[in-house]
Amino acid sequence: MMRWLAEARNLEASGSVGIFAFLFAVYIVLKGGHYSLFEAGNLATNVLPLVLVGLAQYFVVLVRGVDLSLGPIMSVSGSLAVVLFPFGVAPAIAAVLAAGLIAGCLNGLLIARFKLSPIVVTLATMSVWDGVALVVLPVPGGEVPAGLQAALTSGSTLLPTSLALLVASGLFGLWVMTTRFGLQLRAIGGDEAAAEASGIIVMELRLRAYGLAGLLAALAGVYFAISTMAGSPIVGDGYILPSIGAVVLGGVPLVGGRGSPIGVVMGALILTIVGSLLYFADLSDFYQSLIDGVILIAAVGSVAVRDWVWKAMGR
Amino acid sequence: MSETTRPPRVERRRMLLEFDSASAAPLTGLVSIALMLVVCNLLAPGFVSFNNIMHIAQLAAFLGIVAIGETLVVLSGGIDLSVAWTMTGAGCVFTQVSQGQSSMLLPALAAALASGLCAGLLNGVGVAKFRISPIIMTLGMNNVMQGATLLYTNGTPSGSVAEAGRFFATGYIGPLSVLVLLWSGLAIIVMGVLRASRGGRQLLGVGENPLVSFLSGVRNDRVLIVVYALSGLAAALAGVLYASHSGASFLGMGDQFVLPSIAAVVIGGGSIYGGRGGYGGAIIGAIFLTVLTTLLAIVNVSAGVRDIIYGGVIIAALLLTRLTQGAAS
Repeated sequence: MMRWLAEARNLEASGSVGIFAFLFAVYIVLKGGHYSLFEAGNLATNVLPLVLVGLAQYFVVLVRGVDLSLGPIMSVSGSLAVVLFPFGVAPAIAAVLAAGLIAGCLNGLLIARFKLSPIVVTLATMSVWDGVALVVLPVPGGEVPAGLQAALTSGSTLLPTSLALLVASGLFGLWVMTTRFGLQLRAIGGDEAAAEASGIIVMELRLRAYGLAGLLAALAGVYFAISTMAGSPIVGDGYILPSIGAVVLGGVPLVGGRGSPIGVVMGALILTIVGSLLYFADLSDFYQSLIDGVILIAAVGSVAVRDWVWKAMGR
Repeated sequence: MSETTRPPRVERRRMLLEFDSASAAPLTGLVSIALMLVVCNLLAPGFVSFNNIMHIAQLAAFLGIVAIGETLVVLSGGIDLSVAWTMTGAGCVFTQVSQGQSSMLLPALAAALASGLCAGLLNGVGVAKFRISPIIMTLGMNNVMQGATLLYTNGTPSGSVAEAGRFFATGYIGPLSVLVLLWSGLAIIVMGVLRASRGGRQLLGVGENPLVSFLSGVRNDRVLIVVYALSGLAAALAGVLYASHSGASFLGMGDQFVLPSIAAVVIGGGSIYGGRGGYGGAIIGAIFLTVLTTLLAIVNVSAGVRDIIYGGVIIAALLLTRLTQGAAS
C-alpha cells in the first residue's frame, strides 16, 4: 500500500492533472454549472478505450519504443469480438485477448530479438493487422449482446460501471509500476546497459512490454465494440495518434524510463475534453484532427520553450 | 588523399570477396524483382512486355518521388510520417486552384508545392529548433495537414487537371513515359548531390553522429530544416503528379504511400538510425514494392489479404536485411 502511495504521489503526473482540472472546470462552466454522475459515466465510456490503448503505448514508451500498430490491433480485437460473441461472451473475450497478446508479442519479438526499429516494424505490422481486421469483418457491424453493453457502460445509477472501470484502469497501471516488472521496465528505459549489467534480461522484458501493450490494446478494442454495439475493421486507425498523444500529454517523455500511468489517464481525459469543448465552440469536426495534431506538437515543443525561458532567466 | 597508392592485389581481392551488406541489399532486391516478374508472367502470360514494364515504372515513380524525401530524412536520423496528408493536401490544392484550366497550371503547381514546403519547413523547425522527436512532430503535422485539407476542400475536393498537366503524369515521348523520365532526372540529381556535394556529406555526418558533425562546424539545425523541407516538397510533387495521373484529387490519396516510402528506404539498405544508405537502394525498394503490388493485383486477393501479405513481405525483407547485416559484421 505504501508503494502504491509512493507511486501515486510521484509528481510526474501533476502537470497533466492540473491541465485536465482546468479544462474540466471550463467545460462545466460552459455547460451551465451542473454535471451529473450520468454524464461522468458517459465521459468515462468515451474515454476508456483511449485510456487503455494509451496505457498500452505507455508501457512500450517506457522501454524507449513506440507502437504504431496498437490502433490496428484494436480494430482486429473489436472485429473478432463481434464475430465470436454468438459463441459465448467469455470464450470470445478470451480468444480476443489471446489474439492481442500474440500480436503484441510478435512486435516484441521482431523489435527485442531482432533489434529492428520499432517504427518500421510496427508500421509493417499495422498493415498486417489492418488486413486481418478486414478479413475478419469486411464491413462494420456484427452483434453485441445488449445486456453486455448495459452492464459495462452506464450500469447502476449509484456508480456507473464505466467510471469504475476507468478508475480500475488507472489503478492497474499504478499496480504494474509497483511490481518488479514495472521497476525493471523503468530501469531499461533509464539506462539499458546498466539494466543489463544488473541482471535484467532486457530482451525478454522488452518483449513482455510489447505483449502487455497488445493485450491492453485488444481490451480497448473489445470495450469500444461493446460500448458502440458494433465492430469496425477501421476504428483503430483513429487511435494511433491519440494513443501517443495521451502518453505525451501525460508528461511521459518518449526517451523512456520516466512518467506515471496516472499521467496517461489524464492525457486521455484532456484529449477527450478538448473534443467536447470543440462542440461548444461550434467548430466543425474538421478541426478535431487539426487540433489533436497541434496539441501534440505544442505539448512536446513547450518543453523546449520552457528550457529557453529558464536559460534566459539564468536558472 | 587522392595520392594514396592502390591497395595490394591480395587486399583488393579480399575487398571484392567481402560480403558487403550495403551493396548486397539492392542485389537481393533486384533478384526478388526479377523473380516476381517471372511469377507475374506465369500467372498472366505475356505480362512482361516493354509497355507493361514502363507502366510499372510509371506507378513506381510516385512512390519513388515520395521516397526521395524519406531517404533524406532517414539519412539525417529522422523519419517523416507526414507524407500522407502533405501529398493529399498538395493534390487537392493543385486541382482546386487549377480547375482544369491550362492557364492556371503553373500558379496551381506553385501553390501546391508551397503547401508541401510549408509543412516540411514546420517539421524541420520543430525537430531542429524545438527538439521535438521526429515521430511526434511529423505524426502531429500529418493531422494538422489532414485538418487543413478538410477545411480547405470542405470535405469534398473539387477541380480537375488540364490536359497539359496530365501530360507529365501519363504522357509518353516516343516509347518512354514522361513521368519515368522526370523521376530518372530527379534521381540522378539526388544521387549526385548526396555523393558529391558538401550538403550531401553534411547530411550523412549529421545522421551518423550529430555531435561530431556539430563540433566540426556544421550547422546541424540548418541541415535538418532543409532536409524536412525537401521531404515536404517531394511529397507535394508526388501529390501533384498523382492527382494529374488520376485527373482529380481525392481525400486519403496519400495514405497508401507512408509505409512503402519508409519501407523502400530501409529495404534498399538505408539504416533507419541515419548516416548510412543512399537513394539508389530506395529506387530498387520502390520498384520492388510496386511489382509486389502488381503481383498481388494479378493474384486477385481481397484487400485484407493484400494488406497482410504486403506487411508480411516488408517484415520478411527487414529480417533478411538484418540477418545479412549480422552475418557481415
